[in-house]
Amino acid sequence: MDLGTSQATLLLLALASGAALLAAVGVVPLIGRPTPPPGLIGWTNAVAAGLMLGAGYALVASGVAVEPVPGVIGGGFGVLYVAFAHWITGTGQLELNRMGDAGPVYPYQVLMVHVLHSASEGLAIGVAMAVSTSFGVFMCVAIAVHNMPEATALCAILRSRGLTLPQAAGMAIAVRLSQVLLAVATFAVVSAAPALTPWVLGVAVGALIYLVMAELLPESYREAGHRSIALVTIVAMMMLVLLSGRAL
Amino acid sequence: MTGHPALLVFLYALVTALATGLGALPFALVRRVSPHAVAYANAIAAGLMLGASFGLVVEGTSFGRLETVIGVAVGVLFILVTQHVLAGREVELADVRGAGAQRMLLIVIVMTVHSFAEGVAVGVSFGGGVTLAAVITIAIAVHNIPEGLAISAVLRPRGATVAACAGWSIFSSLPQPLMAVPAFLFVDAFRAALPYGIGFAAGAMVFMVFVELLPEAFGQARRSVVATLVSLTMVAMIFFQQYL
Repeated sequence: MDLGTSQATLLLLALASGAALLAAVGVVPLIGRPTPPPGLIGWTNAVAAGLMLGAGYALVASGVAVEPVPGVIGGGFGVLYVAFAHWITGTGQLELNRMGDAGPVYPYQVLMVHVLHSASEGLAIGVAMAVSTSFGVFMCVAIAVHNMPEATALCAILRSRGLTLPQAAGMAIAVRLSQVLLAVATFAVVSAAPALTPWVLGVAVGALIYLVMAELLPESYREAGHRSIALVTIVAMMMLVLLSGRAL
Repeated sequence: MTGHPALLVFLYALVTALATGLGALPFALVRRVSPHAVAYANAIAAGLMLGASFGLVVEGTSFGRLETVIGVAVGVLFILVTQHVLAGREVELADVRGAGAQRMLLIVIVMTVHSFAEGVAVGVSFGGGVTLAAVITIAIAVHNIPEGLAISAVLRPRGATVAACAGWSIFSSLPQPLMAVPAFLFVDAFRAALPYGIGFAAGAMVFMVFVELLPEAFGQARRSVVATLVSLTMVAMIFFQQYL
């Protein structure tokens, strides 16, 4: 299935917005609990990590736009861009699960990390939509599912600082507006200049991988056992490998 | 070169196995072994193995998607069982003992087992005839070098000599010529088994990375440095495989 550019843009806007709204579901495991149960944040991070790696796999497996030279250069750029963004915002070594008091700068850093993180995922959604409509829809759904466990980690931090559940849910949605913006913007740019597709695809793959390696997995290993984290991650990843067949 | 085509397939696959030993060469330059060096080498090995697994799964799913994922599950199970068997045992590899030796042995096992599936892939790809033999051989030989690099990256910082790294790297690829021949002779039977085998190889490598290499790397060096090394290596491996 392939729609015209304007219909595809509208569909993308609707789906990416829906994906951002689904982040609110992330508060559900926290209902009635002042702090998350032990291990939970590690596993939700691992689910998010596996889904992001699966999304990266799907981009590569889409094959349509995979070319070695733009892939390596774009991918390297994606990795270094996120590493640079972490460095310039002072979030490179940030612990993403600190409950209780951690200084006045900490909330800014956490929100910044989530905004940057979501922006890279928007890039992945946008370029997937440019590959084909069905692949774009698949990527939106994958990222939407992944938004929920990721929002749980953020909401746990916000809850421990005294925000109510609705406030935490609202913030989880708000930091994902960068996802919607980048999804639509990337799709617009790549549709207007299709020659950019393999380059942007490379950037998206590099950025997704770096986010998993720098943010999600190190936190996960700290929160739960290595073996359970490894299992949860690989199962989440394989779900996308199985399902991506229909979209490609 | 003349002779039975199966002999040719064996010789070509033997050449590709020997190429794996080249992966040890960069480590001739590494002398100082600090905990950081272990972490960085782990990160590079992790990137190489994850990138290779992406390529394997893309290839496996072209033969059968569900079959590949089943193979992955068996590969994960294989690592869990192997870890269980090795746990608490006194292991010695390349004159190294203790916890380091366990990890060294595990990566040699993982990479050796994964070569069985690759050997089948080689045999099946020769199955259409040996006309493209030289091209396929060069491609696989080049592809094997990073695998030797991954093994050496785990062995060398824990005290193995460069010669031992090269030796174990070549050893890990010996199943390739051994499996290539029957796969070449009985292409149809092996083609059906291929997605399971490829999935198994990928599952074992990915799980080994998640459960051993990454946690150790994050525990011993700055997170941003480890993440950058893993990601850049992985991206390079993913996209360069498109050439091969």
